Amino acid sequence: MATTRTVKLRVNGVAYEHTVEARKTLVDFLREDVGLTGTNVGCEHGVCGACTILMNGETVRSCIMLAAQVDGAELMTVEGLAKPGGELHPIQESFREKHGLQCGFCTPGFLMTTYELLTKHPDANEEVIKEWLSGNLCRCTGYQDILESVKLAASRLRNR
Amino acid sequence: MATTEPKLPSELPISQPRHVGKDSARMEDPLLLTGKVEYGNDIRTPGMLHAAILRSPHAHARIKSIDTSRAEKLPGVAAVLTGKEIKDWSRPVFGVPEGWTGYALAVEKTHWVGEPVAVVAASDRYIAEDALELIEVEYEPLEPVVDALKAGSASAPNVLEGKDSNIAYDRRFVFGDVDDAFASADLIVREQFRWHRSSGNPIETCVCIADWNPFNGMLTLRGGHRSPHLILPALVISLGISSQQVRIVQSPLGGSFGVKTFARYVVLIALMAKKLGGRPVKWTEDRIEHLIGNSSHAWDRHYDCELALKRDGTIAGMKMQLVDDLGAFSEWLAIGMLLKPLLCLGSCYHIANVDYSCKGVITNKTPQGPLRAFGLPPHFWVIEQLIEIAAKKLGLESNEVRRRNFIKKDKFPYVSPSGNVYDSGDYETSLSLLLSKAGYDELRREQQAARTHRRLLGIGVVSSIEPGLTGPPMLALASPRIFSRTSSPEGILMRIDAFGKIIAELGFPPGGQSQHSFVRQILADYFALVLEDIQVITVDSLSMQPSTGPISSSMAIALSGAVLGAAARLTDKLKRAAAVMLEASADDVELFDGQFRVRGVPGKSLAVAQVAQFMMARPDLLPEGIDGNPQATYVWNPPDRTIPDEKGFGRYSVTAAGAQHLCMVEVDRETGQVKILKYVMVDDCGVRLNPSVVRGMLMGGMAHGVGAALLEEYVYDDQGQMLTSSYMDYLMPTIMEVPAAEEHEMCTPSPIAPLGVKGVGEGALHTTPAAVLCAVNDALEPLGIRITEAPMTPLRIWWALQQAGSH
Amino acid sequence: MKPPRFDYYDPRSLDEALALLDRHSDDAKVLAGGQSLMPLLNMRLARPSIVVDINQIEELNYVRASDSGIAIGAIARQRALQTEKLIAERVPILREGAYYIAHPQIRSRGTICGSIAHADAAAELPALALALDAEMILTSAKAARTVGAKAFFQSFFTTALKANEILTEVRFPAPPKDSAWSVLEISRRHGDFAIAGIIAGLVLESNRAVIAHARLVYFGVGPTPIRVTAAEEALIGQSASESVFEAAAQSAKQGIDPTSDIHATEEYRRALAATLTKRALRAALQKLGKT
Repeated sequence: MATTRTVKLRVNGVAYEHTVEARKTLVDFLREDVGLTGTNVGCEHGVCGACTILMNGETVRSCIMLAAQVDGAELMTVEGLAKPGGELHPIQESFREKHGLQCGFCTPGFLMTTYELLTKHPDANEEVIKEWLSGNLCRCTGYQDILESVKLAASRLRNR
Repeated sequence: MATTEPKLPSELPISQPRHVGKDSARMEDPLLLTGKVEYGNDIRTPGMLHAAILRSPHAHARIKSIDTSRAEKLPGVAAVLTGKEIKDWSRPVFGVPEGWTGYALAVEKTHWVGEPVAVVAASDRYIAEDALELIEVEYEPLEPVVDALKAGSASAPNVLEGKDSNIAYDRRFVFGDVDDAFASADLIVREQFRWHRSSGNPIETCVCIADWNPFNGMLTLRGGHRSPHLILPALVISLGISSQQVRIVQSPLGGSFGVKTFARYVVLIALMAKKLGGRPVKWTEDRIEHLIGNSSHAWDRHYDCELALKRDGTIAGMKMQLVDDLGAFSEWLAIGMLLKPLLCLGSCYHIANVDYSCKGVITNKTPQGPLRAFGLPPHFWVIEQLIEIAAKKLGLESNEVRRRNFIKKDKFPYVSPSGNVYDSGDYETSLSLLLSKAGYDELRREQQAARTHRRLLGIGVVSSIEPGLTGPPMLALASPRIFSRTSSPEGILMRIDAFGKIIAELGFPPGGQSQHSFVRQILADYFALVLEDIQVITVDSLSMQPSTGPISSSMAIALSGAVLGAAARLTDKLKRAAAVMLEASADDVELFDGQFRVRGVPGKSLAVAQVAQFMMARPDLLPEGIDGNPQATYVWNPPDRTIPDEKGFGRYSVTAAGAQHLCMVEVDRETGQVKILKYVMVDDCGVRLNPSVVRGMLMGGMAHGVGAALLEEYVYDDQGQMLTSSYMDYLMPTIMEVPAAEEHEMCTPSPIAPLGVKGVGEGALHTTPAAVLCAVNDALEPLGIRITEAPMTPLRIWWALQQAGSH
Repeated sequence: MKPPRFDYYDPRSLDEALALLDRHSDDAKVLAGGQSLMPLLNMRLARPSIVVDINQIEELNYVRASDSGIAIGAIARQRALQTEKLIAERVPILREGAYYIAHPQIRSRGTICGSIAHADAAAELPALALALDAEMILTSAKAARTVGAKAFFQSFFTTALKANEILTEVRFPAPPKDSAWSVLEISRRHGDFAIAGIIAGLVLESNRAVIAHARLVYFGVGPTPIRVTAAEEALIGQSASESVFEAAAQSAKQGIDPTSDIHATEEYRRALAATLTKRALRAALQKLGKT
């Protein structure tokens, strides 16, 4: 049926198989079908970055992707960062220490962006960090504490 | 036995506060960082339907007919709601002044592009939106009223049925002897200003889940509701429901900035639920709806102002006239934003004679609604810009003019012209601190050097006042019938459980400002416990104590007051039990460092948990009137507020945080683009309960201010069509647009508020627009240019540069 | 904001995709990166009854050498502009231009060919295609044809691409070895679409600071990217100096076709084009080491 699609994928290392309407966006699929509500919807036109997740190691805006497009993909969402036993990922720890979040709604998008950034550019300087974060909007923090959080995370990950 | 409210952290019953006044890990963070928090849109209830709203494409039109039959037949659609049912089932939405609103859904007329016209409930949002396209509405377009300055004229069509004008509010307040001040002035400067509308735009939009059970009559509302008790009267009045049948269950919010009372939509979704007869329905506002349809636009102003000064720069008087385009309704509490300037008419300056005239007009645009800083940012910009103009004309250095006019530190508590009181402040010291930290003299040298190379550098130094905890008295100026009250209650329930742990219950949910965390901090120091032994939760509207919630920079004050009040009551109760255990008189027992002890008798003391457990185990031994329940409630109310008289003279708020900011910009003389080179702030918000939290909020407010000054604007065309209806055109600042700012603390503790705190939740948004806008004008000053329209977009700046004949 | 219903196909081969387009033509839209199409679908401004998702067609995912230049396949991502060595070596101005394209998350999905086919007149890639004399390969079930950039971009969001064709490849020839290029853009925020932008290329005569060749292409100031040959002619044979740059700037002002919107008026765009001309030429000159 051309109006539905069956997708097999892995999210945070767990395998899923779902049949979805072709028009269903990836973020709605993750939140409703997979049941991972950590990824938030902020604008539905690819600007605010709240819906940012990793697909095959690269950040993407899940509000402007279709669920149908992730057959065979490895996705990572914010729920995949911390260890199940309660241990936060160093990036999450750094945000906590440097007060890089207030209401938290944009935070998963920033965390996932930071994850790819520091995986690919562990020595990123401030200019590179800001370029990478420029696609995520935050209304609460004014960004400074987020920048400090990412810098701390970078140094923590380098010294791991 | 009364315990006096601690006026500083050092007055808490602990030898050294370990948490209050210190950075402290937030209890909100673990769930937020891991995506495990449940925001409104994360809620799923069994059988839940999804709503979508059909909105008017016309700014002003008569609805001739609505045919929903095709929509209703679409598989998956449960019901469609239109104006006919709205009119039968509800009253117009709440607004002040009364009578200038319409129903939650357009009934016979639509009044703005984006006004709700019909609601569909379906099995998912996708189908609901499909159904919207099947609703056929026949409109008869009418001439829209779009020009605010013409809206008040007799020839303008009336936007609202049954009204004979478009002027919802028109009032003049005169304090002191303004005529004399102007007659005897050495200099009068006059200017007109234009401030365009923007809005809060939290990253999470509004979400409401409604379930109206026809069998027991209970209306249950879930979602991101900022202040349940605040909207309850609006629901009761509009829906005709009895208050004890409404239950609001609040979710943590993804920010609010004024938006998340959204009473009209709560009414609308409740009515959809009513139609569904017992099936829950969720409405998640999408971003486009938020931009065009949420009644949350704010400040669409035309100012005409004059400042009268003496030759030495002292300000003798001020005349301020403003017209604010309220949009189609004077909805909810938006009118308060015209009135709030009365609380701080002269900002940090002593201006004894003020003539303040404000007019709120109705047009065919989105209604205004609460926005952080509630009408003050334009006010402070106007004052600071007039000071700059006057200083130049008098040949005085503008900071010297500021100093000469500052309210002096020995004048506190300062009674301002309107009667509102500023509790404490030391603006001269703040300004000196700012200028020294910023290296002001060096910046001026840099500016001079840049000018020799034709570079346009500008510096803005501005001040502002952030009134802490305003509310009803101010609104009494628009509706004395409803708001002749002095109360703004904030209540808490606190108890100790069988294991000695403390549970505190609040009535509002977390929303980014860390109130749950600072409640924990205060209790940890009051009872000398570790943070982890204290639980702070949000309880629903039927369980909660009276609460106004986090609006108008109030929670540091009111919630601290509530916590301390409840802690004191609980302590008093525990003391009586402890007295029995210690075989002493209750008057001789005191709490200190978490121990109940007998004054003057060392060696005999009991831990708080021990006493609580004794109460619960041995109620038979307790004195008369003390039950076996270590629990207390307290409702804190602001002291000393008054109901204003007919002149508008009254005491409106509790604290006055003051701020001084410096901004240095460079204007590209060829493109009009503005780059912020340096930003320094000094904020005096009294005692900071959690310094990193305060600093974080100030940085956020500064970013918001950059948006207001340079980027954010809702643009309407001459047919009332909103042209900025997505994030492609409504421009929020990103990390690239927000400068790294320095922030320095100044502290004059409040002598009035608990712990010496001042409200700072709205923060830097009061000040930053003025700082940036004045800096741009300072950059353009040598070219004889002054821009008096905000935001100062590159186009506006370029245009001004062209007019001045310079590129 | 949810998309309307559509039939969805994600063919594994180009032939399959082309057959679908042949059959459905005007009712179908090709989905590549989705960074432009998906927002339009979410807002229901685009309502195709068929979506042909070409992201699974591996044979279209390449950046490879082509003569002395490069050939980029339909689903090569914009991010490749910054990561592919071949691009850095052969057409480095593409790498520079990528800095202005939105943000990293957009570039990891958005495709180079997709941006060119979408033909937003304020976008960087269509302008780069025009500036560098790119050639577009338009493929249908029956044939493949090559269309030069000038003929390709016809009007706002309108290209030579027919409803049954896919832009399967864009070829960027290597710019002259002795040329220097500059990309500059004026936008409201970093990453936004250009209010006005320029791609400028300069070649000087081998032993003096006289302009031998010039290329001036503007974006955001017309229905398509615009090459202003009159402005180029004002430069050729002249010394690379401020007054010459000014003449070119004034010529550029007249040679573009801007409109007004809420961010900029036509007049403002003309002024920006003039300013950008001078700044881009200065930057190109600096790269040639001849400030």
